Amino acid sequence: MAATQKADIRTLLGAGADEDRLAVSHFLIGAGFLVGGGLLQALAIFTLRFDDLLPIGYGLLEAMANLTLVLGFAVISLLGGVYYVLPRLTGARLWGADLARLALLALTGLVLAGDLVLVLGLGSGRQPFGLDWWASIPIALVLFLPAGVTIGTLRNRRETRSFVTLWFVIGGVIWLPMLFLAHLIGELPVVGAVTASVSELFLSAGVLTMVIITLGTGLVYYTVVKELDIPLASRQLGIVGFWSLGFAGVWWGLAQTVFGPGPDWIAGVVAALGLAFPIGALINAANVSMTLEGHWDEMGDRPGVASGVYGLYFAVTVAVMASFASFPTIGSVTALTTYWEAIEYAILLGAGSLLVAGTTFEALPRAAGRRLPTSDRARTFNRLTIVGVGGVLVSLAAAGLVTGYSWLGGSNTAAFQDAGDTWAVGAGAAGVLTLVAVGFAIVTVLGQFAYASVVAGTIFSGKVVAQDLLVADGDEDE
Amino acid sequence: MVTKMSETLSAAAAALGLPEAIVERSAAARAEETGMSVDEVLAAWAGGKTVETPASSAAEPEAPAPEAPEEDTAGAPEETAAPPASAAIIDVPPAPTRAPAPVAAASGKPPTLIGSSDRPMTVVMASIGLFLAVFMIAVVGSSTAQDEPGARTSHVDYSAAGENGRDLYASLGCAACHTQMVRPIVSDVGLGPVTLSDMNQIPGSRRFGPDLSGVANRMSGAQIGAVVGGFGGHGTTSLSTGELDDLVTYLMETAGVTE
Repeated sequence: MAATQKADIRTLLGAGADEDRLAVSHFLIGAGFLVGGGLLQALAIFTLRFDDLLPIGYGLLEAMANLTLVLGFAVISLLGGVYYVLPRLTGARLWGADLARLALLALTGLVLAGDLVLVLGLGSGRQPFGLDWWASIPIALVLFLPAGVTIGTLRNRRETRSFVTLWFVIGGVIWLPMLFLAHLIGELPVVGAVTASVSELFLSAGVLTMVIITLGTGLVYYTVVKELDIPLASRQLGIVGFWSLGFAGVWWGLAQTVFGPGPDWIAGVVAALGLAFPIGALINAANVSMTLEGHWDEMGDRPGVASGVYGLYFAVTVAVMASFASFPTIGSVTALTTYWEAIEYAILLGAGSLLVAGTTFEALPRAAGRRLPTSDRARTFNRLTIVGVGGVLVSLAAAGLVTGYSWLGGSNTAAFQDAGDTWAVGAGAAGVLTLVAVGFAIVTVLGQFAYASVVAGTIFSGKVVAQDLLVADGDEDE
Repeated sequence: MVTKMSETLSAAAAALGLPEAIVERSAAARAEETGMSVDEVLAAWAGGKTVETPASSAAEPEAPAPEAPEEDTAGAPEETAAPPASAAIIDVPPAPTRAPAPVAAASGKPPTLIGSSDRPMTVVMASIGLFLAVFMIAVVGSSTAQDEPGARTSHVDYSAAGENGRDLYASLGCAACHTQMVRPIVSDVGLGPVTLSDMNQIPGSRRFGPDLSGVANRMSGAQIGAVVGGFGGHGTTSLSTGELDDLVTYLMETAGVTE
C-alpha cells in the first residue's frame, strides 16, 4: 500500500523523467512563494502610506518580500525552467539531479528561515534581503549548486549545436551566485560604508536584470519557438540581447544614489552604460516579435507564449524608465524616491512574473503530463498582472516624481527648519498616488493567486495527456 | 488478456527504461488521442516504434524548430544527422508544417537541437569575465572615491552606545525609508553639510521618511525618541528603553550633537 501511494505521489509530481519531476517541484514551490511574497509586497506598499497601522514596518516587510519573491518565487521557478530545458537542449541527462534537488530543498528552507530571522529582528538591514552575513553565506553557497548542475550537464552534452536559450541559461546561473558573493564583500570590515551601500544596489539591480530578466528571456525564446513550431528570427540578435542584459545589469541600481558620496565619475558611467538595459530588452522583444511575424493570432490559444511576450515588452517599458532616470539631470529628481520602488516592483512582479509564467505555462503540461485546467485562468493572470503591476508602476513612479519635484521646489528646506519633517509636505499629492498604488497592488495579488491556482490545478487535477518522455540510454549523471 | 497486456507493458517499460505506471498512463493518453488501443500503443513502444499523433495533439515537438540560416555558421560544420542516441523522445510529434522538420522528429530519433556549433564553456568563461569587469567598475571603482583630504570629514567616532545604536538602526531596517546622505544638489539644501565618501553611517537609498543625518539639529533627543516610539505617524518599534537611548545616541552623534 505504501509503495502504491508513493508511486501515485511521484506520478502527481511529474510523470516523465526525473528532470521533469524536478522541474515540476520547482514550479509548485515557486508558485507558493509568489502568493506569500505578493502579499508581503502589497503590505509593504501599504505601510508606505499607513506606517503606523501594522506591527512590522516597511523596512522589514520590504526585505521579507524581496527575499520571498526573488529567491523563493523567481529564482526557484526559473531554475525549474532551466532543469526542464537543459536535457532537451543538450541531449544529455541532467548532471547531478540530486544536487539540484538538494538546492531546491535548501533554498526553500533558507528563504523560510530568512523570513523568520527578519521577523525576529535578527537581520542586518542590508538591502535587498536584510540578512546578516551568517544567513547570506549559506544562500550564496546553495546558489552555486544550480550553476554546477548546468555546467556538468553541458560537459556531458551530446548535441553540439546550441540553441540561443542555452546562452541565457549559462549567464543567469553563473551570475546568480557571483552577485551574492559581491554582496558579501560589503560585509567585510575593511570595506567602507559607501562601498557596502553600492554592493547592496549591485545585488538589487543585478539579480533582477542579470538573473531574472536574463533567464526569463532565454526561456521565452524556447517557449515561443517550441509552442508555435516556428524558426527563431535571428540567433545573432538573441546573443546580442544576452550580452546587453549582462552588461546592463547593475547600472540602474547605482543610479538610485546619484550625486551621493560615491565618486563623481560613476554618474557618467551609469548614464552611458545604463543604456544597455533598454537596448538589450528591446533587442530581445524585437527578435521574438519578428519570430512571431504572421503568427500573432495564435498567441490567444497559447497563454505561455502570451505571458512571455507581455513580459518582454514589460521589460522594455521598465528598462526605458530606468535608463531615463539614470541620467544625472533626471536622477536629481527621481533618486531616493518611490520612482525606483516602482521600477523594482515592475521588473520583479511585472516582467519577471510574466516571463516566469511564459515558461511555466508551456513546460508544466509536458513535465507533469497534465493539461492546464483552463487557459482562461492563465489569461486572467496575464490581465491582472499587466493591470495591477502597470498601475503600481505608474502611480508609484508619479508619486516619486511629485516628491522629487517638491524637494526641488524647496519644501525640503523651509519646512525642515519649522517642522523637522518635510517629506510629508512633499508627499501630500504623493500620498494619494501611493494609496492608488496599494489598490493596484491588490489587483496584482489577485493575479498571483490565479497563477498559483493554474500551477496547482495542473499538477493535481489537470487532465492527463500524452507527453514527452525523456529516455536515456545511459545514466551519465550516476 | 490481462496477462498479455501486462507483459506488453513490462516490455514497453523495459524498452523505455521507465516505471510501468508512467508508461501505462502515457500509453492510455496516447491511445485516446490516436484512436488506437492501449495495447497497440504499448506494443509499438515495446518494439521500439513510435506512434503518430494528430496535429492537434497536446504533445508538441520536442526540439525547437530550426532557426533561420545563419551567416556566422559558415565556418562550422552544419549538422544534418541526428546526434548520438543518448536521449530519445517517445510520442514523436508530427513534422512541423511551416519549418523544415528536424531529422530527429521525422525519424523518431533523438531531437536535433538547432543552433550553431559553439562552445558553451566559452560562454561560461566570458560570462564570468563580464561579471568581473562590471564588478570592478561598479563596486571596486566606488571604493576609490576620494574627497579633498583634511578639509572636512563625514567619519564619526561613535561611542559604544552609538555603535550599538548603529547596529539597531541597521537591523530594524531604518535605512529602507531614511537616508543619512546629503547630496550637493538643490533638493538637499538645508539638510546639513554634504556627506563625503569617508562616511561611516548607513547611507540608505530611499527617502520615504526624512534624511536623518542632521535630525538631532532639528529635534531634541526626547522628540526623536517619541517619533521612534510611534508619534507623528511613524511606525512603532518594540525597543527597550536602553535600546531606544542607544538609537537616539547614534542619531545625535551622527549630527555632532551632544546632550
